Amino acid sequence: MTPTLTASPPELREALYALSIAKDVPDAALLDDVVRRFPQFGGELTNFAIAIAIDALHGDAVVEAAEAALDPNVLSPAVSRAMSRFQNRLHAVSEPTRLPAATVRSVSADAINPFASLSREDFRGFARRLDASSVFVAKLRDRQIEPDTLTPGFRKRVADNLHAPLDVIVAHFAAAQGGAAGPQFYKADGKPNNGGRQTFEEAVRSSGLSEAQQRALLAL
Amino acid sequence: MARTLQKIGDDGPLVRPDAVEAQIDAALTLTPQPLLARLAITDPRDADHLRSETLVHLVRHGRRTGDQGLISLVLPVLLARCEANLIVKVPDGQLPEAATVREDILGEFSELFASDGTGKDPAELDFYECKFNRAFRFFRIDVVRREAGQLKHVAQMPEPDEDSEPEPHDEVFARVSEAFRSPAMQDGDVFRSELHDAILELPPDERDAVILVHALGYQEESDDPGEETAATRCDCTGRTIRNRLTRAATKLARFKEDL
Repeated sequence: MTPTLTASPPELREALYALSIAKDVPDAALLDDVVRRFPQFGGELTNFAIAIAIDALHGDAVVEAAEAALDPNVLSPAVSRAMSRFQNRLHAVSEPTRLPAATVRSVSADAINPFASLSREDFRGFARRLDASSVFVAKLRDRQIEPDTLTPGFRKRVADNLHAPLDVIVAHFAAAQGGAAGPQFYKADGKPNNGGRQTFEEAVRSSGLSEAQQRALLAL
Repeated sequence: MARTLQKIGDDGPLVRPDAVEAQIDAALTLTPQPLLARLAITDPRDADHLRSETLVHLVRHGRRTGDQGLISLVLPVLLARCEANLIVKVPDGQLPEAATVREDILGEFSELFASDGTGKDPAELDFYECKFNRAFRFFRIDVVRREAGQLKHVAQMPEPDEDSEPEPHDEVFARVSEAFRSPAMQDGDVFRSELHDAILELPPDERDAVILVHALGYQEESDDPGEETAATRCDCTGRTIRNRLTRAATKLARFKEDL
């Protein structure tokens, strides 16, 4: 009964979806049936059935109430960033070639986003190398920092840690923010400013970093 | 007419529930203004409320037809619902970086739409057009388990030697079983929430035994070698399962007072 450490392969995802979709709470008959269809994943399916059963204890009433309480006129920063990830992935899927050797100097929203092709593990690895939080790296990815406030040393550090040409990094930060075509609304975390962007220092100060981490990044 | 789903289930191609199919057909005819009005309805009891399954179809339709405007209208609404779900299901404190995990789940989920029709599983979103909440449950639990796996490597303690036959604890588990069988009701939420937390605090072996026997309904063991039981699922003996249940019962004893 060891936990899964990496993203589930497609065949396993198929099996887990089958288990999750069939009933609100799995029972022995369902689990036996799905294991018969996917015998190679018996252990994973058993673990997942247990996880679903525990999860179901909470019920959906609270979730439904939370959804009903949504303000349709407010787009949260998290949703805004998810939209940005959607656009970045869409761009990556539409343009499958990775970072080109040629320089990229466009300031349009079409500039290559060097973060778009990072897997979850790559993303975390980059954050560790930079000694920063995921929240801060998400701001870099989503172009939420005023490009003019980024120090040359920081830009070079990002390029080195991403193994990407400096020109690509500069173009990425300079490009317009991607994301939802509709208006952006901010509820609480972070004051709205120039297109929702923060200065480098503001971004460093508001990303859950320790004092030492903040000092190190601002000194670059 | 909604596009036929591609994903093949146990009984053939996946099929949307009739109510979803009908709502999708109607939603596809909406012009932007009426669609916006429908999207603003958050009460699921309202007859004009658009189901999440319908929103998935609309975003995929926009993706296939290159209708960026449709995507920009619908996807943020769907993601906002998902965020509301995640705030409840992955609350602060459950994981050290719960907010980051929620954001990861939301971001990864949004990327499914960008990758729709491509990659190793081009029809993955078909599941979400049939049973959105159950499909998203898989997605959420899958990411949370991966995250928990990276954070916590539980050292397996040796099983204590227990020579005597374990005592049955029917009175403790009667209420536990009932909680899993009955639908969640508002007035039972406190009990269920406390039970949820108590079960999560059990050692994994004991927790698995409790869930397999008292939630999923497995026998502890069987004389029939072809029958799956809690013991076969855990690859141990029936006696070990009973010992684990006994230890779990001690820790869950306070719940029998509610009988």
